Amino acid sequence: MTRWFRNPWGKPRWLVVVTALYIVWSILPVGIAILFAFNNGRSRTTWQGFSLRWFTGSTGSVLHDPALQGALKHTLFLGVLCVLVATPLGVALALGLQRWRGRGSGTVNTMMLLPLVTPEIVMGVALLLLFLNVFPGLGLGTKAQAIGQVTFTLSYVVVIVRGRLVSIGREYEEAAADLGAPPHDQLLRVLLPLLAPAIIASAAVVFALSIDDFVVTQYLSSDASTTTVPMLLYATARGAPTPALNAIATVTLLITLATLALAFFVYRRFAGGGQAAVAAALEV
Amino acid sequence: MPGEIHLQELTKRFADVVAVDGIDIDMPAGEFFTLLGPSGCGKTTTLRMIAGFERPTSGQIVLDGVDVAQVPPHRRNVNTVFQSYALFPHLDVAANVAFGLKYQRCTKEERRKRVAEALGLVQLSGFERRKPTQLSGGQQQRVALARALVLRPHVLLLDEPLGALDARLRKNLQVELKALQAELGITFVFVTHDQEEALTMSDRVAVMNGGRVEQAGSPREVYEQPETVFVADFLGVSNLLSGEATAGDDGACVLRMGERALRAAQGATASRGQVKAMIRPERISVEPHGTAGDNRVPGLVERAVFLGNAFELHVRIVGGDILKTMVANDGSATDLEEGAAVTLHLPAEAVRVLAPSEPAAAEEPATAS
Amino acid sequence: MSSRRTWRFLALPGVVWLSVFFLVAFYAVLAVALGNENSLSEPVPFWNPLDWNVGYLLEVLRDIVHGGHYLTVFLRTFAFVGIAMALSLAIGYPVAYFAARHTRGRWRGLVLLLLVLPFWINYLMRMLAWINLLSADGWATRFLHTVGIERLFIWLGLLSTEGGWLDGQPSTVILALVYGYIPFLILPLYAVLDRIDQRQIEAARDLGASALSGFLRVTLPLSVPGILAGVVLVALPMFGDYYTPDLVSASTKTNIIGNQIDQLTRQGSEKVTGAVLTILLSLLLVVLMVYYLRTTRRADEETANA
Repeated sequence: MTRWFRNPWGKPRWLVVVTALYIVWSILPVGIAILFAFNNGRSRTTWQGFSLRWFTGSTGSVLHDPALQGALKHTLFLGVLCVLVATPLGVALALGLQRWRGRGSGTVNTMMLLPLVTPEIVMGVALLLLFLNVFPGLGLGTKAQAIGQVTFTLSYVVVIVRGRLVSIGREYEEAAADLGAPPHDQLLRVLLPLLAPAIIASAAVVFALSIDDFVVTQYLSSDASTTTVPMLLYATARGAPTPALNAIATVTLLITLATLALAFFVYRRFAGGGQAAVAAALEV
Repeated sequence: MPGEIHLQELTKRFADVVAVDGIDIDMPAGEFFTLLGPSGCGKTTTLRMIAGFERPTSGQIVLDGVDVAQVPPHRRNVNTVFQSYALFPHLDVAANVAFGLKYQRCTKEERRKRVAEALGLVQLSGFERRKPTQLSGGQQQRVALARALVLRPHVLLLDEPLGALDARLRKNLQVELKALQAELGITFVFVTHDQEEALTMSDRVAVMNGGRVEQAGSPREVYEQPETVFVADFLGVSNLLSGEATAGDDGACVLRMGERALRAAQGATASRGQVKAMIRPERISVEPHGTAGDNRVPGLVERAVFLGNAFELHVRIVGGDILKTMVANDGSATDLEEGAAVTLHLPAEAVRVLAPSEPAAAEEPATAS
Repeated sequence: MSSRRTWRFLALPGVVWLSVFFLVAFYAVLAVALGNENSLSEPVPFWNPLDWNVGYLLEVLRDIVHGGHYLTVFLRTFAFVGIAMALSLAIGYPVAYFAARHTRGRWRGLVLLLLVLPFWINYLMRMLAWINLLSADGWATRFLHTVGIERLFIWLGLLSTEGGWLDGQPSTVILALVYGYIPFLILPLYAVLDRIDQRQIEAARDLGASALSGFLRVTLPLSVPGILAGVVLVALPMFGDYYTPDLVSASTKTNIIGNQIDQLTRQGSEKVTGAVLTILLSLLLVVLMVYYLRTTRRADEETANA
């Protein structure tokens, strides 16, 4: 044991230990929470045997409880809505920003980066006051939640797509122009196909951010029908709920991970290299 | 015949850097025209302006009588082969080649025919379904060529297309490209920094340096009759001699180097005072030490570099200059080793007096700007 | 090129969106904070800067200056964030260092995956996990009791009652903040440590530095920009956090500024004061935000011009 510890050319063993402990501390609690989603009894702290009742059981499960169902459906609905709006908006913004040389580009760039560094509560309060005082016609609720989510996920799309744009460079567009393609065809026939992996990756990121979002979504909700899974978790976590809560959290987690895995593989297959995907994730 | 280009006082400025400084070049139709120069001399910028990817700061680009300087690239009848080929990775070879045909109004049948024709021209028939990533460098380059030629442009621009290929492939493609141009009869504007390439392939060469054209002419002209030190140096070994030019007879001048006098019959023979003259290595004959006669100087062999088919001798002559010359490895010269004394014969018709370039430029090596 | 203008138009919808739903929204906070309340305690925003009413702002400032409630909350926020940040660095730096300098190939991929994973797990789910573990009969509670850490914490004054981890304990809140935000700190640290050229460290060792000395005199100084970037990146959301104390404490004893704003604005009816506090918080964070934006923009421009 002493040899292993004191090898001067080996990795400092204490670092290995610290890292291993950290990773366990980081992930194990979530693992346990997932475990309890499969608990046979109503407790979230005492193991009572394995069961799927909280997922598919006839009462109080994710599949059959109306409150849980409603939250899950609303969460996914907002996720899809957010992707459908934020992705095209973000791609267009990325293209416009990247090609913009001259006045205003710096300001717009800063404005685009601001949501990434603004604390969510500031955004939540700002959007709440906006919808109450400036757009009372729209009011709070699903539309407002969608708008709020798009506003903060937009920047992620821009950053991801722009990164890919930079590595593509300008020569394919120039080649297309040289061969007679007008600007809109340069975009449609050459640039967009080449950007497809980045667009898909950013759509996945937007979806994941949307279904996990809490503050903005909560601030812009109106009534029980606009509850999402994170809001549900927040509201009932300290109460005396059943493992159904763990179950619905697990379901959401699986959906997130599946979406991201899909995007990762698409990106890797078409853009060459997991490096790019990890880099994209790190940007976030 | 279409495909004639005139560049008139063409200038391109990037912030405070002048990349192209008011150049005037005439490129006759149907010729293989080369822009030659070191990196940073402005040749690629000039090419890109002809293609339309850079907008000139001032000046005109007259293509077949029309100034196209402000016309966007997709509307010029000029096509480019890029240095990195720029084949669209998401399309196969046939789709790549057919890309520009969409804007030329032809039927599906015609399109297929023309694509097949173009691929045949570059000897890639049968490669239609391949993807660019499945092709070698040389094959990609041919597809890029086919993609441009299928559109039947009046002018084809080539931006150092052979740069990424290995030496043997490059030599083969040089021959092919030249043959292709001769067959098609369209104007090729070729950019390279390789003087050998330029000399082999071109009908005319424009040597550029620091955004300006130092000299334009046929390959023989620019090689044998360089007008400036830069051109002399860039196109081959130039063997510079320093001396004082004085009057001679028959329009030649006599170059005084220390106690020696050399007759120089080429170039700026009217110059007087301190000048530089050059002679190409292949025009120098190496004779046994002590041979008498005009235009002969003694020297000591400082280095004898074995090149396989020849020896490159570095001979230091009186006055300190080192002259390089080649001696074929034909078994005759067995006493040419380091330290040997020889006499060099510099025929007067081969000694060329050079006009100073910019006085400063003559002293400094060409710097990339 | 005429096409340059065409490209610019593509940016228009995004710019309009952000202007309305971000810039105008923020202006709405200003207008409300410097506005008034009507008889129903609803905010009446004053849009014209010339009309701005500093009454509510002054009220809050007076409270702070005189050492009142809001000052306590702000100070507590700084304390919590500061301690949480220090702990996060203490734990996160070695982990990032290990991942950057001592992993290779397959192992690195795996370690990175595990380090990135928390990003994608819902924050609330991660807190929920701890609520379960720290509740009265939770596994963590039992473990900490058995191992004696619970006794230690009580002795140090960090815990009030046995098993009362979730009862308004500042230490629990701080540890929860560490747990929640440390992944966001580790990755920027990893990125900068990864970029440090191995050869510089080898040069130091070659010149006679021991492993520790090489670290202190070469690696650590070179990683400082990354530390600063990571700290700023994490501090911004941490300062605005309210849900973490809400979940693991549920007592106003541990209120930080986020809680205060939330209670006034969303849960209660003092939106004007809430807006004032939001503005004050933003001003506080502007320094951090500007620093981060400047360094990101420089990096962005460098890649964009390449």
